[in-house]
Amino acid sequence: MAKSGVKTAIIASTTLLTPTLRRFVLRAQGWCFPVLSAGSHVLLGFGGPERMFKNAYSIVSRKDDGSEIVIIVRRAPQSRGGSVFLHEQGREGLSVTILGTANLFPIMRRARRHVLLSAGIGITPFLAYLETLRAGGMDYVLHHFCRPEEREAFESLLHGQDSACVHIHDQLPGAAGLREQLANQPITTHVYYCGPEGFMDWVAGAVRAVGFVPGKVHSEHFFVPEGGQPFAVVLARSGRTVNVGADETLLEALEAADLNPPCMCRGGACGACAVTVLDGQPDHRDHVLTEAERTAATTILTCVSRAKTQTLTLDL
Amino acid sequence: MIAQASVKDSYRPPYGVTNSPETILRFPFPFPEDSYMYSMNVEPHVRGGPVVAMQNTFDIDEHYVAECTEKARILAEDPRRCIVMPHMREAEWDFVELAMETLSEQYPDYFALMRDGANWHWTNRLLGLEQAFVFGDAETLPHPPFEYMARQMQGDFTLHDQREDDLWMDGGMVTAQADWSLKFDLGMSFRQWHAPVPKAAELGVFDRGLRFLLMLQHGKPVRRLNWTMTINPRLDTSPENYLVWGADRASVTPDNALDKVHLRVELQTLYRLPRSHAILFSIRCYLLPLRDIVRVPKWGRRLHRVLGALDPALSSYKGLDLYRPTVVSVLSRYDDGAELTPGILPDLAQLEDA
Ligand code: FES
Repeated sequence: MAKSGVKTAIIASTTLLTPTLRRFVLRAQGWCFPVLSAGSHVLLGFGGPERMFKNAYSIVSRKDDGSEIVIIVRRAPQSRGGSVFLHEQGREGLSVTILGTANLFPIMRRARRHVLLSAGIGITPFLAYLETLRAGGMDYVLHHFCRPEEREAFESLLHGQDSACVHIHDQLPGAAGLREQLANQPITTHVYYCGPEGFMDWVAGAVRAVGFVPGKVHSEHFFVPEGGQPFAVVLARSGRTVNVGADETLLEALEAADLNPPCMCRGGACGACAVTVLDGQPDHRDHVLTEAERTAATTILTCVSRAKTQTLTLDL
Repeated sequence: MIAQASVKDSYRPPYGVTNSPETILRFPFPFPEDSYMYSMNVEPHVRGGPVVAMQNTFDIDEHYVAECTEKARILAEDPRRCIVMPHMREAEWDFVELAMETLSEQYPDYFALMRDGANWHWTNRLLGLEQAFVFGDAETLPHPPFEYMARQMQGDFTLHDQREDDLWMDGGMVTAQADWSLKFDLGMSFRQWHAPVPKAAELGVFDRGLRFLLMLQHGKPVRRLNWTMTINPRLDTSPENYLVWGADRASVTPDNALDKVHLRVELQTLYRLPRSHAILFSIRCYLLPLRDIVRVPKWGRRLHRVLGALDPALSSYKGLDLYRPTVVSVLSRYDDGAELTPGILPDLAQLEDA
């Protein structure tokens, strides 16, 4: 990201929604957030002297005048720090940088009906969807899944929504009859889903089983890059070696070594951070590469993937 | 002030388009080297490009009024030159906002925009238009929003919906095209509408181009130059009108080539639109006759070399075969073989005499 023209914002207010979910209002400092399409995320830079983080978060809403946006951050249990930092130190007045906004999960405008499925933190992109779908008079339904003890929090988050179109379940999707619901949708329906990995797998299986074609199914993974074994990368063009620690990503290690590799979502979803692998076996953890590309092992997405071998040689 | 507030050019017979020295020097000459091959040649569309024509988001020049008038005539003859599918409604407003904001900011002498919430007031001094309207309410404009704005801009515009990892041409206004048709291409995917271009698919240009465009971000537009040649200063070389202009290709002689043959350059810019997540493709066309091109010695020499060595497949795709040899031999008089600086700049502060 460009060093010049850095866009800063401050945390204008913050509210705890559940023990693990915290809402933040970010206020732009001397500039305006652009108009945003539903499903957009923001890439946020923050941290303290010990450690800087760059994390992507779905944008829940934007104030009409562009002065503020709202995000919700889940405190990830084995987080490498970003979300824990925001939960513990993200107080009013804290300054953050806005490294960019982009949309990898847009509404399909040609769909006649939109079925939104979320669990837990996966509600965030859909909070923006609901605004757009309602304003556009489109046909939609949301099924949100949560734990019984979180029900009240999500009820208040979804307060004011059209109760005929928005349903909260504190059961598992199977028990709530979601598969049957999906099977009964008209053919012009598009399905969107977002949530923790277990939920994603269940929905992916269910839509396949009831016969949705891939072009009508859209998902966004909330991927928290996990650590793993440390490894080393050799940068073929300079001959330098960069070590990747157990709790940092390859992308972060490259950035710490003052390289400026491309990136956008930092969650294995967009493909912007692809780098050519010259030697070694990548451990692919993204949602972008095809099976063929994975087997070929000539490309790695540096934001999430790691190495199966002790070293990787990259075309950098 | 470069734009003129009167119609003085004619883009149909009897033709009459004149270019001032300023217009010639700001022409986006498309050849940085002595040879040409199709490539992605995409760069960020930042203000302040190498030539003046690239220095604004949407370029306005002395032909503004004449081109808008010609556009209005073409639309009156054939309203289907502007079609927008219903699911592109938000993209229409995105376009209105982008155009009005950048034009009024970058050309305050010609355009003004006042905004009070959703109540907007637009002034176009070159065309003598004043319009109060409610942003987002199509009923408050005399034309549908995309059409209203595109009529007031030089060049063609298409709107592309992004879905299934492809871009679909689901709207546009096309009146100055180099032999393609909106009616034919409407609803096509990126690969479908590029299918006729030779070589490029083999070179992998489109796969890379598409992947790149799918990730285009709001606020980071990109541009590229494309080119072909046109006989007579005719903006509308559409397939629908082939019978009208096709025969002109056989009319080129060594005596009339300098005036008849025009280098046609498209400054193509692409924008991610924020509300709709659609992509706006702007194709701004510049026509310059060989007579004006050779007034910049570097351009005359380079055009001679590029056309002389052009790949036959590209020459026939661009429809140049009938007259290319004539043009090359005429231009050879202007090429002494001197070595040229790389890049497209004219390397001149003032023009040679005509
Ligand atoms: S930055 Fe998006 S996949 Fe790596």
